Amino acid sequence: MTLSDKEIIVKDLTFRYKEQKDRNAIEGINLEVEKGEFIVIMGPSGAGKSTLAQCLNGLIPHFTKGHYSGEVVVRGIKVKETPVSKMAKEIGLVFQDFEAQLFSTNTKLEIAFGPENFGVPREEIEEIIRRVLKIVNLEGLEDRPPSTLSGGQKQRLAIGSVLACMPSILCMDEPTTDLDPIGKIGVFNIAKQLHEEKELTLIIIEHETEEALNADRIILMEKGKIIKDGKPREVLKEVDLMEKIGLMPLQIPKYFSQVSNLEKADLPLTYEEGVQKFKELGLQIDEGKYQEILRREDEREKSYGDVIIQAKDVEYVYSNGTKALDGINLEIREGEFIALLGHNGSGKTTLAKHFNCLLKPTRGSVIVYGKDTKNSNVYEIGNYVGYAFQNPDHQIFADTVYDEIAFGPRMRGCTEEEVKERVAEALKAVDMEGFEKEDPFALSKGERQRIAVASILAARPKVIILDEPTTGLDYKEQKRMMELVKRLNESGHTIIMITHTMWIVAEYAHKVAVMRDGKIEMYGKVRDVFKEEERLLELSLKPPSIVSLSNRLGKTFLSVEEMVSCTKR
Amino acid sequence: MEMFLYMDKDSILHKLDPRTKIFIMLISFAIALMFSSLSLLLILSFLVILYGALGKVLSNLKRIRVILIMIAIMSVILWALTYPGTTRLWGPVTKEGIIYGIAIGIKFDVMIIAGMIFLSSTKIEEISLGLVKLGIPYRPAFAFSTAVRLVPMIVSTSYIITQAQKSRGLDLDTGNILQRIKKYIPLLIPVLISVIRQANILAMALESKGFGYSDKRTSYLEIKFEVRDYAFLAVALLILIVAVYFKFKYRL
Repeated sequence: MTLSDKEIIVKDLTFRYKEQKDRNAIEGINLEVEKGEFIVIMGPSGAGKSTLAQCLNGLIPHFTKGHYSGEVVVRGIKVKETPVSKMAKEIGLVFQDFEAQLFSTNTKLEIAFGPENFGVPREEIEEIIRRVLKIVNLEGLEDRPPSTLSGGQKQRLAIGSVLACMPSILCMDEPTTDLDPIGKIGVFNIAKQLHEEKELTLIIIEHETEEALNADRIILMEKGKIIKDGKPREVLKEVDLMEKIGLMPLQIPKYFSQVSNLEKADLPLTYEEGVQKFKELGLQIDEGKYQEILRREDEREKSYGDVIIQAKDVEYVYSNGTKALDGINLEIREGEFIALLGHNGSGKTTLAKHFNCLLKPTRGSVIVYGKDTKNSNVYEIGNYVGYAFQNPDHQIFADTVYDEIAFGPRMRGCTEEEVKERVAEALKAVDMEGFEKEDPFALSKGERQRIAVASILAARPKVIILDEPTTGLDYKEQKRMMELVKRLNESGHTIIMITHTMWIVAEYAHKVAVMRDGKIEMYGKVRDVFKEEERLLELSLKPPSIVSLSNRLGKTFLSVEEMVSCTKR
Repeated sequence: MEMFLYMDKDSILHKLDPRTKIFIMLISFAIALMFSSLSLLLILSFLVILYGALGKVLSNLKRIRVILIMIAIMSVILWALTYPGTTRLWGPVTKEGIIYGIAIGIKFDVMIIAGMIFLSSTKIEEISLGLVKLGIPYRPAFAFSTAVRLVPMIVSTSYIITQAQKSRGLDLDTGNILQRIKKYIPLLIPVLISVIRQANILAMALESKGFGYSDKRTSYLEIKFEVRDYAFLAVALLILIVAVYFKFKYRL
C-alpha cells in the first residue's frame, strides 16, 4: 500500500505544548481519512481538537513548538518535514476568530492573497476570485472592505480566502462559534454544498450537535484522545457518553432514552422522527402536570417587584447615521430574568448599553431606578446596574483574581476591609472560593468568564446585564455559567441577558424580547414566544428540538426534564 | 464604526501609481523640513491641501483634527516662551517667537497631513506593492503595511475595552496626573493582550494561506507609470527645485 491512498494518515501522534506541564495536548492519535469524507470533530474545551487541526497543516510543529512524536501524512506528504506554506496547497485551515484572519483592503484582494503567494498568473487569479465569490455567496461584495461586512460574511470570506488556495482538504476550527444563527446557517450551507461536490475532504470542529447530522463521520475527543469514531446516527445516540464528557446531547434521543426502553439503535434523532415515535409508543402528556407548570409560571409573573428599567420610545442613531434602535418600548420589573434575542446588528447590545448609561438615547428616554439616564452617567448608574461584556479578556488585567475583583469596589472608594468582604462574597457567588491568589490569565475561558461576572458582582448591583455570557464555552461550562446566573436571579438580582443560544433562553430565561432591525418583534413569557415557532423561523431563529417536538404535540415544553416529568408512559 | 484610513473614492489621486504618491509625500516632507519661514510654509500647506482635495480625501483630516490643533498650540506656546525675539509683547513672549511657533506648528502639521493624504488614497496592498517595486523585499514591505493595518485594530479594541472598564466603575476624569496615568493600566493590559493574541492568529492565518511559499510572488493588483504619474512627478520635482533654489539663493 502506498501512502497516497488516503488523504490523511495520523499515526501515534502525541503533542505537548511547551508551557503544558500536567499532560499532553493530544496523545496517541491514530486516524485515517478518505478522499471526499465529511468529518465533524466534537469534544469539550481542552480535548485537543484545535491542536489536532494545527498538526494537520503543520502549524504544529513548525509555528508552535513543543514535544512532538508520531507522524502525520497528508496526501503523501510528511507534514513534519514540510513548511506550512507548502502544506497550504494541500490543506486549508480556517480559524474561529474571523476578525483577526482578515487583513486586506477589500474582498477581492483578500481572496487573491493565497494564489498570489503561489505565483498564480493574474488572469487565473481573476477567475479564481470569481469562482470563490460564488461558492461563499459573496457576489456583489467584491469591493467592500472586510470591516464593513457582517460576522457571517466575514467568516465566509475567511473560508473563501482559504478555498482560493485550492486545497484538497478544508479544515475549519469552530467556524460558527462566534456567529449569530443566520451566520451559522450560511457557513453550514457552504459546507453542505462543498461536500456535495465530492471534490473536497471536509473536517469541521463544531459544537452544534444538530448540524453534525449531515456529516459522514463524527469523531469525539476528550482529554487529548479519540474516544469514539463512527457514523453520526450511531455516535449521536450515545446520550450518556456525550453528557459525561461535557457535550450537549441531542434532546430528542435524550428524551426518548428517559421515557422508554428503546434500544440505542431505535432512538429517534430529529423532532420529526420523535413525533412519529411518540405516537408509536403510545406516550401521552399528563394534562394536570402541564397545567401545574403553567400555574407556577403565572405565580412567578405576579411575584415580580416594581418596574425598575423603563425604555420609552427609544431611538438611537450612531454617529455614522445608522439607526440602531427604532422606537423601543420595554419595561423590566425587579426580579425578572429577560433574554434579548436577535441577530447581530438587530440592536440588542445597543439597547442593553442604554440600561447602564453607556449610551444615551437620541430620542425618547430610559429611566433606571427612577433616574432619567440623560441626567446621569455610567459611574452613577453603575451602582444599580452591572454590565458584563462578552469577552472576559477585554476586561481582565490584574495579577491576581483578588485584585481583579477588587477593582470595582476600590474605584468606588471602599475601605480595604469592605473590599475584602465584597471580593469574598463575589467569589462565593461564582463558586470560585480559594482562587484569590491565582493568575486570572492562567484560568480556563469558563473560569475567566466567571471572574468577569464576579468583578461585576463586587459592585453589588441590583441588575446584571450579561452580554453573551456563554459564547465560546463548551456545554459543561455553559451549564455551569447558567446555573450561576439562575442562582443570582433567585437571590434577588434582575437579569438581562443577550444571547444567541436558543436552548439557554428556553431553559433559563423567564421572558424574552426578540429584536430585528432595531425593533422588538416579539415579547413575552418564553413559553408563549417559543410557541409561535413559525414567527421565530421567519426571524431565522430555530427553537430547540424538544420545543419543536412538544409544539407538534400541542404543548410547549422548554426542556427535556420538563417534558419527561409530564410524560405518561 | 469605520476604522480604516483608506477612503475608497474615484479620483485621479487614487489612480496614481503608489510610487508616485510615495515620492510626492517625501518631497513635501523635504520641503517642510527645509524651511522655517511662515509664508513659504503657508504656500506649501496650500499646495498639499490642494493635492489632497484632488483626491477627495480631506474629510479624513477631521479624524485627526485634535492632534493637528494640539501640535499647533503646543508649538506656539513653546516657542513664544523660548524664542530669542526682540519685539517684546508680554513677559518673555515676543512677536517673533509667536510667528516662529506658528511656522513650526504648520511645519509638523503639513507633514502629518501629507502622510494622511497618502494613507487615505492608497490601499495597503498598493503601498506594499509600491515598496516592492522600489526594490524593498516583500517581507519587510508586507510587515510595514501590516503595521499600518494594526492601528485601526488597536483603536477598535481599545474602544470596547474602555467601555467594559467604565462599566466596572473606572473613572478616567478625576484625580491628579499620576493617579490618572495609573488608571490607564486596566485599559492598557487588555489591549496589549488582545492585540498580541490577534497578531498571533493573523500570523497563523498568513502561513496557512501560503505566505512565504516562494520568493516569486504574483500580484493581482497592477501598478504602472502612466502619463499622469509623470505629470504629477514633474510638477512635484519642479516645486522641489524651485524650493532648493530659493533656499540657497536667499538663504531662507
